[in-house]
Amino acid sequence: MNTKRLFGYLLAIVSIIPFLSSCDDKKEIENVEISTGVYVLNAGKLNNNNSTITYYDFASGFATTDVFAQKNGRILGDTGEDIIQYGSKIYIAVYQSSLIEVVDPKTMTSIKSISMKDAQGNATKPRTLTCANGKVYIVLYSGSVAQMDTTTYAIDKTIAVGANPDKSVIANNKLYVANTGGMATVKDSTISVINLSTFTEEKKIKVNLNPSGDINADSQGDVYVQSNGNYGDIPGKFQRIEAGTDKVTDIAVGVKGFTVYNDKAYIYNFDYDASWQATNKKIIVYDLKNEKVDNESLVSSTIEKTPYSIDVNPVTGDIYLGVTDYSSLGKVYCFGNNGTEKFTFTAGLNPAKFLFMISK
Amino acid sequence: MFSVFSKKLCTSCASFLLIGSFSASASVNAQNPVDTLTLQKELQEISVNGKNQRQLRSAMPTQLVTTHEIEKLNAANVADIAKHFAGVTIKDYGGIGGLKTISVRGLGAAHTGVSYDGLLMSDIQSGQIDLSQFCVENISSVSLDNGQPMHLLQSARSFASSSVLALQTKLPEYDSAHTFTGRLGIKAGSFGLINPSILLEKYFSPRWAVSFNSIGTKVTGNYPYAININPYGVNIAKGIRKNTDVTSLISEINSIYHMGTMEQLSFKINNYYCDRGLPGSVTIYNDNDGTSRMTDNNWLSQLHYENKKSSVWQYLASAKFNSQSMHFTEINNNYSSLPDKKRVESYRQNEYYLSSTVQYRPVSSLTLALAVDSWHNNLLTVSNMNYKEDPQPTRQTLLANFSAKYVNERFTAGGNLLFTGTHETSDSTFAAPDRKKLSPTAYVSWQATEDDNLILRAFYKEIFRLPTFTELYYHDLGYKYLLPETTHQFNLGVTYHTNKLPFISYLSVTADAYYNRISDKITIVYGMPFSSVRNIGLVGIKGCDLNFSATKNMNKNSDFQLNANYTFQLAQDKQKNTDTYNDIIPYTPVHSGSASLTYRYKSFDAGYNMVFAGKRYSGQNADIFNYLTPYVDQSIFAGYSLKSFKFQAELLNIADVNYAIIQYYPMPGRHFRLTVNYKF
Repeated sequence: MNTKRLFGYLLAIVSIIPFLSSCDDKKEIENVEISTGVYVLNAGKLNNNNSTITYYDFASGFATTDVFAQKNGRILGDTGEDIIQYGSKIYIAVYQSSLIEVVDPKTMTSIKSISMKDAQGNATKPRTLTCANGKVYIVLYSGSVAQMDTTTYAIDKTIAVGANPDKSVIANNKLYVANTGGMATVKDSTISVINLSTFTEEKKIKVNLNPSGDINADSQGDVYVQSNGNYGDIPGKFQRIEAGTDKVTDIAVGVKGFTVYNDKAYIYNFDYDASWQATNKKIIVYDLKNEKVDNESLVSSTIEKTPYSIDVNPVTGDIYLGVTDYSSLGKVYCFGNNGTEKFTFTAGLNPAKFLFMISK
Repeated sequence: MFSVFSKKLCTSCASFLLIGSFSASASVNAQNPVDTLTLQKELQEISVNGKNQRQLRSAMPTQLVTTHEIEKLNAANVADIAKHFAGVTIKDYGGIGGLKTISVRGLGAAHTGVSYDGLLMSDIQSGQIDLSQFCVENISSVSLDNGQPMHLLQSARSFASSSVLALQTKLPEYDSAHTFTGRLGIKAGSFGLINPSILLEKYFSPRWAVSFNSIGTKVTGNYPYAININPYGVNIAKGIRKNTDVTSLISEINSIYHMGTMEQLSFKINNYYCDRGLPGSVTIYNDNDGTSRMTDNNWLSQLHYENKKSSVWQYLASAKFNSQSMHFTEINNNYSSLPDKKRVESYRQNEYYLSSTVQYRPVSSLTLALAVDSWHNNLLTVSNMNYKEDPQPTRQTLLANFSAKYVNERFTAGGNLLFTGTHETSDSTFAAPDRKKLSPTAYVSWQATEDDNLILRAFYKEIFRLPTFTELYYHDLGYKYLLPETTHQFNLGVTYHTNKLPFISYLSVTADAYYNRISDKITIVYGMPFSSVRNIGLVGIKGCDLNFSATKNMNKNSDFQLNANYTFQLAQDKQKNTDTYNDIIPYTPVHSGSASLTYRYKSFDAGYNMVFAGKRYSGQNADIFNYLTPYVDQSIFAGYSLKSFKFQAELLNIADVNYAIIQYYPMPGRHFRLTVNYKF
């Protein structure tokens, strides 16, 4: 055997190794038909471009993990933060990709992708979405709120709010935007109140430090704010902003996240143990009208991982709880309004928001 | 919040000569910066066989490349060299400015010690050493020692890592006819690379030499990339990396003074300045999200004394000071509330280090050594975002290591016991508690045949890494009660070589099987509203490293050289009762390896290099979003020496493969480099 041939063989053997080890990890498209069910917006992990949308079909009980990419032949982007339906369209805020994705609810196919940029072309980073009067209001982490027309998708007007605004809710024909100051020298502690008729900031309401948790309103127009403090000597709080007077009152309930349904707050809470694992996980029902705890611990079944998001099906009153371990696929629990576990399904990484598709 | 940290984040080979020629004195240390002139001279003429002798006779696996091989590895930095060692996983964030770190046998970068001329580099903040801060042009050898380097006359800190990547710089070489020598070089390449270098060496007397070397790098680095954004098919998004410019200057002065043939004093001062854009990961649909920059300015000075006049008693003493400053800025709309929308963070860390070792050899077969090291680290932080009082942590470390080695004609056995004690202070309410620990290592090797063709070897080592200052003190993330992260290594290996084959001049094979365990693994535990760090991981790594080396000397004018490595490793999460039990640890390929084939004909040489890795996942759950495709990165070069000139042309990633080592940090496609060096 001559040397060249020997080397040739050796090289061939070595070269083949990676191909032996490789396999095709591409997935098959599931061709799911969208009917009545729930979309789960999975935030994914920052800088991992792995935000996804799971569709859970009520009739079949089947969850499609990544319906957006399947229907559009491309990924949703980096860190989906909010999903709402307004009229015949779904709007999705994709934070790190700085994108508003407008989607047909029945097919999950993209109608329009709007890149959120300032005049210099730099990303402005959408966080949350609300809608009223034919407009979609986009809270931008860079410090402003944009008003987008739902037919032309043009940004009519952008107004400045506080530092790093995040969660938002509409009540009393006003938009309440929580300024977190998450990337400021000192964290913020205000709620910007924006008059939707004039689209101007009316005032800033002072709440507890770092209102980076959920914000929701009840039928009386009271707004509820969850703040996280400084993770040190200033603790997080659950507070009410009274409609009309804007008076801020503390509510003595521990809250990691909450939603409001039929004037009741559905709250999840937990503690961290010494290993920084979630313990004492529970769902608390708080009666917002009568200002009292309805149920200290609604759910008796064991909740895995760490609660991450909560919502209530507006038709059935079923409670949906998304849980995560921050590294692998998430899970969604569905509990009846009385707390009995109905079903669970697998969602994507960090299930953050729910959107119920009630009518066909 | 981790962005700064995720971004931030050379051996005279004479000892193998000695080991090769008389194994009974295998413990004689020569692997340190200041070898004798004689050995240095012999080093220049070292044969492949001599190099292999060290690799083949070591009871703990060691791999080595020297100047001539380094020149043939298409290496732009030390990481490119280390890629060619078995068992190595390089994390490379891409491009010239991208962070490059080395992990060995699945243990993680923080467990790999990087030594520079005998003394360990440190980064108390991140715990990992960026391999792009060393100048390849000035490195004479790179070795990777699993466990630790084998000789006993070395600092206690050399025993304190799971493995050591040892870099040794070139030494002035005495020649009475030419007391002033040097080299001028220039390299240019794709993406706007310009790389001038200079080396000056002066012998003021046969005893005293001084050398100066410097290399500058200027690169724009805007290389194109392509990423598939359809997990269910093909939809290629193309782009160009932005904010990838690098301006750096590495300068070093070395001085060596020979008090006698076996007694010497050496001194080094090194400055590393690097100003670079941090392109960050690729965000799909958003390529205009502010700009981050990082400026490093590191000073390193080392003083080293060694006395080997007696074969019974030998001494070593070293002192080191290093100071690392890192300045980070990020302009981003997210920082609208900060002046100029600019986040600013500055870090400065210092290390003051002393080491002393004494070796005693009462009889030729037995060597004993005691090494004591003590050093002090501190870290200062200035930040304009989410301001908190700087905790100003400090750590005082004391190491004492006792080692013993017995060597006879066919049998080697040895071990050491390392004591580590630390004390920390902090300006915040309290500092991390003091730690005291004892760590053992043991090894044996046995020559199975009459000549040294076949050698069996085994080692066990238990060692740990202390938590970094980031893990202990950083904002809300840090946790002061973190325990050290401990590693256990078991290795069983065999080495074989022969020069009696009919068609190959020389062939050597090494095969090592290993089992490693990481306990109390330091892991970021995510949470809302903030994350923290805990000792919760347990990792088991089963693997084997194969190394194959062959030489064919056609005649005195030409030869072929082939080196190939293959690594199989199964690094798995062994934390029981979790969803991730038995999952593969992120970024550890099951199959990986490298090969290089070089050919020399008179003053012409050419070669082919390739590195491959099988599929990997960026997270623990194996899904399409975490999946990184297998890749083969192939490069070629051709070089020609004409009198004092040496020309080299390199074509890298010749197949123009789009791949990433770290997800969404694409690596450059096909590119080239041209080098001209002039020696005088």
